[in-house]
Amino acid sequence: MYDKSVPFDAKVKWTKKETRDTFTCALKINNRDIQKAYRFLPGQFNMLYVPGIGEAPISISSSPLDHDLMHTVRVAGDVTTALSNLRAGDMIGMRGPFGRGWPLEEAEDLDLLIVAGGLGIAPLRSVARHVLKTHAAKKRDAHQRRMLLYGAKTPKDIVFRDEFPRYRDIFEVFLTVDRADPEEYWRGEAGLVTKLFDRITFDPRCTLVFVCGPEIMMQNSGRELILRGVPEERIFLSMERNMNCGIGMCGHCFFGPKFVCKDGPVFRFSEIEGLMGIKEL
Amino acid sequence: MKKLKKEHLRILFGGLTESHRVIGPKIEGGVVVLAEIAVHDIPAGFEDRQMAGSYRLVTGERPEIFSFSAGPDSFKRFLHPPVSEMFAFKSSRTAIAITAPDCQGKPLAFIGVRACDIAALKLYDKVFLGGAEKDQCYESRRKDSLVIALDCSYPGDNCFCHAMGTGPSVMDGFDIALVELDASFLLEAGTIAGQRLLDVLSLEEVTEGDMKERSSRTERCLGMMKKSIRTEDLPGLIYRSLDHPRWMDIAERDLECGNCTQVCPTCFCHSHYDFVRLAGISPRAREVSGTRVRKWDSCFSRNFARVHGGNFRPSRRARYRQWMSHKLAYTFEQFGLPGCVGCGRCITWCPAGIDITREVEALRDVR
Ligand SMILES: Cc1cc2nc3c(=O)[nH]c(=O)nc-3n(C[C@H](O)[C@H](O)[C@H](O)COP(=O)(O)OP(=O)(O)OC[C@H]3O[C@@H](n4cnc5c(N)ncnc54)[C@H](O)[C@@H]3O)c2cc1C
Ligand code: SF4
Repeated sequence: MYDKSVPFDAKVKWTKKETRDTFTCALKINNRDIQKAYRFLPGQFNMLYVPGIGEAPISISSSPLDHDLMHTVRVAGDVTTALSNLRAGDMIGMRGPFGRGWPLEEAEDLDLLIVAGGLGIAPLRSVARHVLKTHAAKKRDAHQRRMLLYGAKTPKDIVFRDEFPRYRDIFEVFLTVDRADPEEYWRGEAGLVTKLFDRITFDPRCTLVFVCGPEIMMQNSGRELILRGVPEERIFLSMERNMNCGIGMCGHCFFGPKFVCKDGPVFRFSEIEGLMGIKEL
Repeated sequence: MKKLKKEHLRILFGGLTESHRVIGPKIEGGVVVLAEIAVHDIPAGFEDRQMAGSYRLVTGERPEIFSFSAGPDSFKRFLHPPVSEMFAFKSSRTAIAITAPDCQGKPLAFIGVRACDIAALKLYDKVFLGGAEKDQCYESRRKDSLVIALDCSYPGDNCFCHAMGTGPSVMDGFDIALVELDASFLLEAGTIAGQRLLDVLSLEEVTEGDMKERSSRTERCLGMMKKSIRTEDLPGLIYRSLDHPRWMDIAERDLECGNCTQVCPTCFCHSHYDFVRLAGISPRAREVSGTRVRKWDSCFSRNFARVHGGNFRPSRRARYRQWMSHKLAYTFEQFGLPGCVGCGRCITWCPAGIDITREVEALRDVR
C-alpha cells in the first residue's frame, strides 16, 4: 500500500462544464503501482491538491466500474477555483480514497431511494452509475424499485442534466427546483426535495435510503422518512466537516465523537441523529 | 524487581546516553521542562507550588531526587513535535516529486515518565498507530524509544490521577519502571530492551522493608492528592449536558489562548500547512516547491472547524465544550481510553484558572 498522507500525481484527462459554477474532471493516476492499489467505493472522497494553492476534499462522482475516475466540483474558494482552471494534460496531486462509502451490499435485496440536494448529487451519482452498470451486467430482480429524487436551486443548477434520461431506464427520477426561473421552461416540481416524498409511493419496510445534501436537508429528510415508516437504520447520510488529514489524526472533522473522515462521511442516521440536533457540535 | 543504589543512577544514564537522546526534567526559566539532559540536570530538591493559573518553583526540604512533579511538557513534544516537516515537494507541469523527511534521528529515552503520561502515551499510540493508516514519523520515533517510568513520590497540587484510574503508581507500558526510596531506586524491566539495560547494572535484591517503604510512599502520595473528579457518571454526564448553561459561564472566563491544549498530554489535534518557497515559483512552467508542515493546532482556534461558507463552531462556548467533551467523553468511544489522565496541567497553565475538576462538578448542578 501507499502512504495516504502524501499526495501522488494525477493527470487531468478531460474536464467538462456542468453548470455555471460546477464542472467534472477525470483524473488518471500516474504511478502504476498506486494505480493498481487504488480501490474506492461510491461515497468515498479524495483530497485534491493544487500545489501552491492547497487541498480540498472532493467526493468521487464516478462508479468504480467506470473507466474514468471523476470528480465534480463547485467553485467555492481558492482550491476549487484553481481546480476549475485545469485543462486536459495538467497535473495535480491527490490523496485517498478516504472514508466509509455507501453500504451498497445492504441494497442487494431492498428497494433503493436516493435523495440528493444541490451538489450532494456528486457522491450519489457514483451510486447511480454503479447500479446502472451492475444492473446491466446482472439483469437483476425486476421487482426491485429504484428511485432518485433530486432538488437543485434553479433549473440552471441541475448537475448531470444530460444523464438523467439514462438513469430513467432503471430509476424513477423526480426533479425539483427551489425556484423555477420564469425565463426557462420547467415542467418539473418546484419546492424542497422533501416535498417529493409525497409524489412517490414506496414500501418503507423494504427501502434503503441514501441522502446527501445540505445538513438541514438531510436532517429533515431523515425525520420525514422515519415518520413515513422507514427504519432509521436503513437511512444513510453523508456528512461534511473540515477535512485536513483525512486519516483520523488531525481532529478537524469531529462531529461529536465521530471522525467524519474515517467513521463517515456516510453515516447511518441512527448513529448520528442524536448529535444532529445539537448546535455547534 | 531489583534495587539500585541512588548514586548509581548515573551509571544507568551513562548506558543510555550511548545509544539514546535522554529526555528528562530540567529547569528552564523557572519551570521544570523536558529536554535532553545529563543526570546532574535533574532538579533534585526543588519543589513546585501549583495552583489554578500559577506555578512556582522553590527549594524545599524533600530528600528525593525526583522531589518535584510534572511540569508543562510531556513526551508529546518529542514524539509529535509542535512543528514538523511531513515532506518536501517540487511540482512541475508533469509530476510532483515528494521527498520524505528523515524523522529517525538518535532514538529517544524518556526518563521519569509519570503514570498519567503513560496513560496518555497509550492514547497517542492508538491515534497515530492504531488505525488503518499509521503516522510513519511517529512510528519510527516511537518504535525505538525507551520509556523509563517513575512512581510519583509526591503529587502535584492539581493532580487527580487516582480519580481517573491512571496513577500515581506505574502499572504497565514501560521499558523500565523506577520507584524512588530513601536510599535507592527499585527497578523493574517491562520489556527485553529494558532488561538489557538492567543487566549491566550492579543490582541488589529487594527486601521486605523496601516493599513496605514503597507502599507507604504510595499511600502518602495518594493521601496528599487534593483534587478529584467523580467519574461514575462519565461519559454519560457530558452527553447529557451538551446544552448546559455552564458552558456559557465558562466561555465568559475563557481567554481562548489554547494553553490547555498545548500542555495536555492527550491533545493531538494538528493542521497541515504548505510553505511555498517563493524562489521556486515559476507560473509559466507551473513550478512550485516547498514543504508541507504539520503544526499543533487546537480546537480553540477560531478556524478549526471552518469550512467554505461557514464555521461549525463559531462560538467560544462551543469550542470550550468541544475540548472538555473530547477529554471526558468522546475518547472513550473513539479509542476506548480516557482523554483526561488527571495530570492537572490544564489547571495550572490556564491563565484564567479554569479548573476542569470544578467545571465537571458544575455540570452536575442541573438548574
Ligand atoms: C467529504 C466531503 C466531500 C465533498 N465533496 C465535494 C464534491 O464532490 N464537490 C465539491 O465541489 N465540493 C465537495 N466538498 C466541499 C469542498 O471540500 C469545499 O467546497 C472546498 O473545500 C472549498 O475549498 P476552497 O479552497 O475552494 O474554499 P475556500 O473558501 O477558499 O477555503 C475553505 C476553507 O475551509 C477549509 N476546509 C476544510 N474542509 C473543508 C470542507 N469540507 N469544506 C469546505 N472547506 C473546507 C479549507 O481548508 C479552507 O481553509 C466536499 C466536502 C467534504 C467534507
Ligand atoms: S481554558 Fe484556560 S488555558 Fe484553555 S483556552 Fe481557555 S483560557 Fe486558555
